[in-house]
Amino acid sequence: MQSIDPTGIFDLPNTSLIFWEVITFAILLALLYYFVYPPIKNQIRQRQQSIEQAIDEAEKTRKEARKLLQEYRQQIQEAREEAREIREEARQQGQAQRERAKKEAREEADRIIKRAQEEIQRERESALREVRQEVAGMVMQASEQIIGRSLDRDEHERLISRSLDELEAEVAGAGSGR
Amino acid sequence: MGFKLVLAQVSQEELRHEILHTWEARDAWKIPLQIGSIDISINKAVWFLFLGAALTFLILFIGSRALKNRPGAYQVIVEDTYGFGREFLGGQVGQEGMKWFPYTLSLFVFILVLNIIGLFPNSYPVTSNISFTLVLALLTFILTQYMGIKKNGAGKYFKSWTPPNLPAKFIMAPFMWFLHLIQEFSKPLTLGLRLYANILAGHLIIFVFLGLILYFGSFLAIVSVPMAVVFFAFEIFVAILQAYIFAILTQVYIELAIYAEH
Repeated sequence: MQSIDPTGIFDLPNTSLIFWEVITFAILLALLYYFVYPPIKNQIRQRQQSIEQAIDEAEKTRKEARKLLQEYRQQIQEAREEAREIREEARQQGQAQRERAKKEAREEADRIIKRAQEEIQRERESALREVRQEVAGMVMQASEQIIGRSLDRDEHERLISRSLDELEAEVAGAGSGR
Repeated sequence: MGFKLVLAQVSQEELRHEILHTWEARDAWKIPLQIGSIDISINKAVWFLFLGAALTFLILFIGSRALKNRPGAYQVIVEDTYGFGREFLGGQVGQEGMKWFPYTLSLFVFILVLNIIGLFPNSYPVTSNISFTLVLALLTFILTQYMGIKKNGAGKYFKSWTPPNLPAKFIMAPFMWFLHLIQEFSKPLTLGLRLYANILAGHLIIFVFLGLILYFGSFLAIVSVPMAVVFFAFEIFVAILQAYIFAILTQVYIELAIYAEH
């Protein structure tokens, strides 16, 4: 078929171009639809998935980190609290210890003093008793020698004891009267 | 044609040949073939058609084979081309149209590659051939009508051509339907002509500016060459723009037919 335009700028109909265009374009479309678009589509979808996954993971990690931080802060707070308690307790214990030690020392001292007083008392009493017996013995001996006969020992001792008591009472009365 | 230019160094006939030589050489690189009485010879235009199709396929194919999870620059270009098709071509009217974006994306890349190839000197800009553009537009037309009928049913689809709530319905309805019919045919016609005219005009302007040098003398190169360069740069822009317009209009026409009822 002859073209209606000899210059070729209005090239209608160019049967060979039309024929080959239809064939070429059909083949091109088939190739693109089968070999090009599916892998690109897959690749884009895959990347999208991996990006979404990465975002999710990052979100999760951030949440975890925040939780951990919270936990640590709480732990530090608790540790401080505990340290304060321990210190307080130690202080109180120390105080109690000191009090107890003081009290014990005082008690001990009291006990020692008391014992010493008792000892003194005992010593004095025994000394007194000895002196008394001595005096009684001496008085009896002297009396025997003077009288020349032995006195009834028990009677005698009773007499001496009474006079000694009287003496003691006198001494005590004089002592307290002063 | 009758008047003579004093400075003419070439005849008007020769000048016209220089300007139009790209389109006049229809029998260049020819392998004669025929089916019956129909000429299907492989000529220069067909060779460049093949070249364009091959390049279109290879650019996208290599990009789709070398896919990695951490993409290089080339992969990004190919993926972004696909993403561009998905986001800017598909789904103009509704989600149903998304199915067609691979087709219009193929059209876009194919026309773009042919446009760019046509910019190389001594090549043949296939998209400046009206036979080529009208056939692509005819494909758009066929797909549009096919999808319209398939999605809506023939009755509803053709009925949707008359807008609802017309006054004086008995007279207006057939009239409006007829107008729409004309519109349906003018759509692919303008689609084909727009691409053809833009690419042809761009190339012609460059050749005309350069042809002026032949006609008026080499001093005009001071004006002609910069102008030709400017228009050449503009042609690169037009090459992208027209490919995009052709693709997006095809997409819109198909989607409008799918959603004809709404």
